[in-house]
Amino acid sequence: MAHRRCLHVLSRHAAALLSLKTPPTLPFSTSISLKGLTPFQHRSLISSTLGPTNWSHYRHFSSNKNDDEGEDVDEDEDEETADESYEGEEIGDTVPDLGREYTLEEKEAEAAEIGYKVLGPLRKSDRVFKKYEPAFAVVQIGSHQFKVSNGDSIFTERLKFCEVNDKLILNKVLLLGSQHQTIIGRPMVPDAAVHAVVEEHALDAKVIIFKKKRRKNYRRTKGHRQELTKLRIVDIQGIEKRVEVATAA
Amino acid sequence: MALRGTWQLQKLIVGFCDWGGSSRGIRAFMESHLPAFKASNPQLEVVTELIRGQHPHLKGLYRNKNERVICVKNLTPEEIHLHATRLRNALGRKVVKLKTRHVTKHPSVQGTWSTALKF
Repeated sequence: MAHRRCLHVLSRHAAALLSLKTPPTLPFSTSISLKGLTPFQHRSLISSTLGPTNWSHYRHFSSNKNDDEGEDVDEDEDEETADESYEGEEIGDTVPDLGREYTLEEKEAEAAEIGYKVLGPLRKSDRVFKKYEPAFAVVQIGSHQFKVSNGDSIFTERLKFCEVNDKLILNKVLLLGSQHQTIIGRPMVPDAAVHAVVEEHALDAKVIIFKKKRRKNYRRTKGHRQELTKLRIVDIQGIEKRVEVATAA
Repeated sequence: MALRGTWQLQKLIVGFCDWGGSSRGIRAFMESHLPAFKASNPQLEVVTELIRGQHPHLKGLYRNKNERVICVKNLTPEEIHLHATRLRNALGRKVVKLKTRHVTKHPSVQGTWSTALKF
């Protein structure tokens, strides 16, 4: 990227130079194909042809470093995942995109990235809350992993694309276990799913972040409430849960 | 906020004043966002109450008889909508620091490990 930008700037300089009145004595002809030269040769060429030059007119730096990258990337991408667009916008924008509208595909892609899939709202007719079954799974949501079983509740970071009383499928399952069998994933178990229901979206208790440097007259107090989602695990699929009747020993 | 499928917020009382300037936002909220909020939450009983000379608030009554009051003085209608949604999304439990992020009644499936266990 820097290599390309270097050449770009230098080619612009060269174009500006060629339009100027160049001194009569030149060691090389001015019509030089730029592509054949490496940037080092090019730079040395320019410095050898001219003495001290006033570059101030011909410096067209882009206002944002990301503009160059943005222009190049925009040609290819359609609707990439939000991570790349965040990097491009963060430096330019001062306001975070709180009211950002996600398309359905973006939502699903981001949700799948974190490790869950929204099935839909819970209806009254669904009988999802079953009795406890002796099976567990190690599931990953975002960057945290939990060992879950039927009927457990889990507090995760706020899951963005689901409402309260929604059914979810957590698809990043790393380990499944029952009373007589364990299935270890490498790193994930394919075709395993953990069903969960969103119970609440709430704020954690306030933590006070207090900073002080003694004898330096520096004291700061900040309050922080983390946004959490409580999930109730409802079903684990991908392993046989039946307790086998032990044969007579 | 739904514990095993049942919504926990039973009643939302929207208290406002018709004269005070701090109630401007909530008066606008009652015109703009409240009907939509009511429609999307049919299980919720929303009551508007006139309290003259006092700052506006949102009071939420939960199934476990817990009451949460949020003062909404000098807020914009969008912020008030956010607070109302937060009340609806929460369970009525007391806001305390979490002990653990994983609450379970059956911690072990294959048996708890101990140093004396032989495989």
